[in-house]
Amino acid sequence: MKWITCALCVSLLAVGLGGRASAADPPPIDHHDMSGMHNMPALDTTPGDSLYQLDFSLEPVGNAPVRFASLRGEPLLVTMFYSHCTSVCPLVTTQLQHMVAALAPADRRRLRILMLSFDTVRDTPQALAAFMAEHHIRDPNWLIARAKPGDVRALAAALGIQYRELPDHSFNHSALITLLDAQGVPRARTQTITAQDPEFLSSVRALLAAESPKPIDKTP
Amino acid sequence: MKMRAWCWLLLCLAGACAAAERLPIGPAELDSVLSTGAGQPPVHVNRFVLDRLPVTNGEFLLFVRTHPQWQRGHAPTLFADDDYLSHWAGPDALGAATQADQPVTRVSWFAARAYCEAAGGRLPDWQEWELAAAASEHLEDARKDPAWRERILDWYSQPASKPLARVGLGPPDTHGVQDLHGLVWEWVEDFNSLIVSGDSRNQGDPDKLKFCGAGALSLQGRDNFAILMRIAFLSSLEARSSARSLGFRCAAAGASR
Repeated sequence: MKWITCALCVSLLAVGLGGRASAADPPPIDHHDMSGMHNMPALDTTPGDSLYQLDFSLEPVGNAPVRFASLRGEPLLVTMFYSHCTSVCPLVTTQLQHMVAALAPADRRRLRILMLSFDTVRDTPQALAAFMAEHHIRDPNWLIARAKPGDVRALAAALGIQYRELPDHSFNHSALITLLDAQGVPRARTQTITAQDPEFLSSVRALLAAESPKPIDKTP
Repeated sequence: MKMRAWCWLLLCLAGACAAAERLPIGPAELDSVLSTGAGQPPVHVNRFVLDRLPVTNGEFLLFVRTHPQWQRGHAPTLFADDDYLSHWAGPDALGAATQADQPVTRVSWFAARAYCEAAGGRLPDWQEWELAAAASEHLEDARKDPAWRERILDWYSQPASKPLARVGLGPPDTHGVQDLHGLVWEWVEDFNSLIVSGDSRNQGDPDKLKFCGAGALSLQGRDNFAILMRIAFLSSLEARSSARSLGFRCAAAGASR
């Protein structure tokens, strides 16, 4: 029996690189939840520098979970925040709202906004719903979302956003809004959140114009 | 325990001795250099297991052979820069200039993470790494030992062009872990949390409000130069960056005691 167990143990250790840890111990609970980690490159036509190379599940408030990569197809403004933030995050939200309001209605309908929370513990769907209500976010193009800790870390890393939880559960983080094109490639970014950033806004407009839907080809 | 020893013996007979084992560390209260201010309580670090050795070229080669999407030239540019594994002779060959038992370097954070996931673990976070790296051969926390500090700092004066030594030559610390100092820099899971500073691609206007939260963190233990060097280095990286002396090792949650 011992040998059988041992053989099992050896095969576990030998299969791939798995199980180098003590395979005999019961799986412990890990506070670093990596189960959502899927940073395997997608095997399709996604450009190499597209953020949609990251394949993970988003939980937008009021919607069923979606794959991050399913946002491909239209330009996206993406930022990260946490709902208990009292200083910068409300400004980021307001900045996004001003940008969207400055667009032509047809453009506004096509641009999606993703705000992903850093706070995987306290930003429950209820907390995020309250945040949306507080900021009068009703447009279905706005996704206020949560994701698993490992995925939040990976998206932040890919966007170049630094963040760190403090002992009082607030977060230090860089305030950055990134514009992705329809393929998920970053086209512009801004850290200006206390004033207009006309340059960034013209990048958004230019991208929406460049990626405007093509007339349907009626050639048989 | 006896069983595990047998398993390791079998593995060794099978020629896989080089496969790193993971050693338990903690739980512990860590006086972290990243504490947000003097008088802050120590950080609680849960028990975890850490690879005894950094991941080697040989181990990483096996990984890219079974995960070809992580081979040089296949990994998307989002996940790896141009320098990724550039010291290897080919996408799945080390070549004569690269030894299998040298630590693998020129790997991005994304690649290191994918490796650890495939190896049934994850990257250690900074505080786990800091706790492990505080130990010398004799002390669990040797950070105040001048002789030990001196020895670590010596490493920084080595020329960077010197070929990397093979893993396992450093003395085991009190946990049995080797080469945390003196061989390579190592990725941590939360490398992008260490110093929250402005986006390096867009600096210059100090009036821009860049942060949410309590502002700058005050580094404690400023005299611990070797650790602060690590933090400065890691926080300067992008997730796709690779560097000649930047490698990694994996960790996993530890069974509770």
